[in-house]
Formats: sequence, C-alpha cells, structure tokens
Amino acid sequence: MRAEGQRLEALAERLRAVEPAMPSPGAKIRGWNIVAASVQHAGRPRRPAGSVWRAALAFAAAALLLAAGAVAASANSLPDSPLYAVKGVLEQVRGDLAQSPADRLTYHLELAQVRLTEAEAMIARHRIDLADQALAAMNAQLQEAASVVTAEQESGSALAADMQNRLEQAITAHDAQLAGLQGEVTNPVAQQAIAQARDRAAQALQAVHNGSSNGNAGNASGQGQGQSHGQGSPKGSATPHPTPKK
Amino acid sequence: MRALARASSDDDRLLIERVRQGDEDAARALFERYFDRIYNYVYARLGRVEDAEDLAIDTMTRSLTRLDLFHDQGVAFSSWVYRIAHNATIDHYRRQGKVTLVPLENASLPESADPSELAMEQLSNDELRQALRELTDEQQQVLILRFFQDLTAVQVAEITGKSVGAVQALQHRALGSLERALKARTVQ
Repeated sequence: MRAEGQRLEALAERLRAVEPAMPSPGAKIRGWNIVAASVQHAGRPRRPAGSVWRAALAFAAAALLLAAGAVAASANSLPDSPLYAVKGVLEQVRGDLAQSPADRLTYHLELAQVRLTEAEAMIARHRIDLADQALAAMNAQLQEAASVVTAEQESGSALAADMQNRLEQAITAHDAQLAGLQGEVTNPVAQQAIAQARDRAAQALQAVHNGSSNGNAGNASGQGQGQSHGQGSPKGSATPHPTPKK
Repeated sequence: MRALARASSDDDRLLIERVRQGDEDAARALFERYFDRIYNYVYARLGRVEDAEDLAIDTMTRSLTRLDLFHDQGVAFSSWVYRIAHNATIDHYRRQGKVTLVPLENASLPESADPSELAMEQLSNDELRQALRELTDEQQQVLILRFFQDLTAVQVAEITGKSVGAVQALQHRALGSLERALKARTVQ
C-alpha cells in the first residue's frame, strides 16, 4: 500500500487530467450578447455625434420605461412574452442612437444575434411560428447590415474592409449556430425555416462579396430577397423586431 | 496541457482601463479571456450545463458592469472574477435550498472497503466530478481552483482570502476527503 502522500499526489494528478468543461458556442454567443447589452446599459461614455435633441428624446423615452419597471424585465424577454413589445421599443431607441455606419453595423449584427437566440428559444418551446418570425427578422437585420457595408464599399470608405470582415464573421458564427440547431430539431417546418435562414444569410454575404470584388455592389438586401427560394418575400423588415413598432 | 489559458494581470489592467472608458472591444477581450474559465469553474461546482451557463454569464455581466467596485490594489482582476463566481454559486445553492454536506475528513470507510489504493486510471471524469461535489464548499473550491483551473496556491489564497499555508492544508484535507468519497462510491 502506498504512502498517503503518494496516493494524494496521484489523485491530484488525476484531477489535473480531467478535461475542462467548455461552454457551447451558442452559450458563449448568448453570453456575450447579454454582457454587451449590460455593458452598454452600464454607461457607455462614447456617444455618437449628431442630433442632441433626438438623443434626448430617446433617453427620455428610455427613462420613462425604466420608471415603469419594464425595462429590466423585458431585456431578456422572448417573443411569447407580453413584455416583448417593450423590448422592441428599446431596440428602436437604440437604433435611433446608432448614427455612424460602424455603430449601425454593430446594431444590426447584435439584433441579428438576439433574433437568432430568440428563434432557438422558440423552437425549444415548440413555437415554430414565432421561431420562423424570429429567423426572418434575423435575416432582415443581416440584410440591413449588408446594406450598410455595401454603402461603405460604394463610398470607398477605408472602414469598408473591416466592416465586411465583421459581417463575414457574424454570418459565419450564425451559420454555425444554425447548423447545430438544424441538426437538433426534428420538426420539418422548423428545419425548413432554418435552412431558408441559412440560405438568405449566405445570400446577404454573397452580395457583400460581390460589392467587394466589383467595387460597386448595388443593394445587398435586394439581391438577398431576389434569390431566396421562390417562396415569397422574407417576413422580416428593417425594423429591429419581428413585430414592427411603427 | 490544459485548454484554459491564464491571463496576465498586466494585460487585464490595460483592458479594464479601456472598458472603464467605454471600449466595447476591451470588454469583449476580457469576456473571451474569462468566460470559459468561469464556466468550467461553475460547472465543476454545479454539474448542470444550464445552471453553469447562466451563472457564468451572470458572473461576467457583474464583473464587466461593476468595474467601479474593482480597485486594483493588491487583488488581481482574475481573483475578483472568481470571487464573484464563487458568491454566485453560493447564492445559487441558497436559492436551491442545498444543504451543506458533512465534512468527510473524519468519515470512516465502510467495513467492506478495500484498503488498497484507488485505480486512478479506471476513474471516469464524471465519477471524479460527482465525488468532488460531495466535499464541503471550501474543499471543492480549493480543488477546482488548484487542479481544474491550474492556479497556484498563492492565487487561490488571494481568491479565498486565506493564507497560503491554510490553502495548502485545506488542499491536503480535501484530497483525503475526495479519496474517501471515491472509495465509498467504489464500495457501493
């Protein structure tokens, strides 16, 4: 029988050999979305230059909602929640504050990720109708993001390459998440919705690639919609939310 | 070689300064640096993927939004984040009504237990993780930080607020308790 010290050292070595548990890519993306939103809420000193009056109105609207106690509760609300409409208003306010192309790209990419997370949650709750809406809204956000990038490409902006890179990374990450989801769901309607979403995201990316190689891409969202599956136009819109607030 | 990289506190300091000035990229860098490690820590404590994800996200949110509470004087940012994660797990246990288990230091083995050493190579990772969760809160914390997170006794001492000697003694007792817990499981 080995001495206690040796036994415990062997046990310590065995513990060191335990493979670390790693979070799923989806959890990491969801985590960053929540953290990023919280960091922004916590007080981002960088404010876009522009309409002070518009920003003041937006902040006043946000403050009113905060007073009503709905803001915090709605931040993570899902499409089947009564507070979801409040979330849409807040997103709209955030969109009003995003004025530079880089900020608008960030805004659309973040909302695309939020919609994707919502779609996952709705599939888990067997609300395929709401998941379909969320995926369509995600595509609408990606197409908006592609439009922002294309506009920068057309203007010959020095930021265009970096923005294109960010869009590509986001779409690649979304596609990986959607591919995982597609492998998990058994509902054929959900599978079709996911396949369409992946296809449309790829089209948005292709439009930007075309813009990059041609130096003049035209309207990315128009191309994306025109090539989609022949099953009607996407249900999403340029508004951040599946249920437009206009 | 473990996949969870260590961060230098100097790098952290620069990023923290940038986050305080509203730099979202710096926040992202800190998130990327710590999220996996915190998830791994919380998962080792709780054993449920969903809970570990929620608590890791909660920990990172608190860490990056309450930097005003972090004063870089003698305590590394990493230690501060681990403390937040630890407190979050304690809160979680409290909400779940988990009863603190009796320390195993003095627990005697069943009569039928084989006194020979454990066949370490036959232990699965899951068995180890489960046995680990039978230890006291302090013992779990020290073993996870030392061996799953690859931290030094000095770093663990900073996180737990104990002396290095106390950490080493606790680690020794914790390994003994873990050995007994594993043997008891083998007998059962």
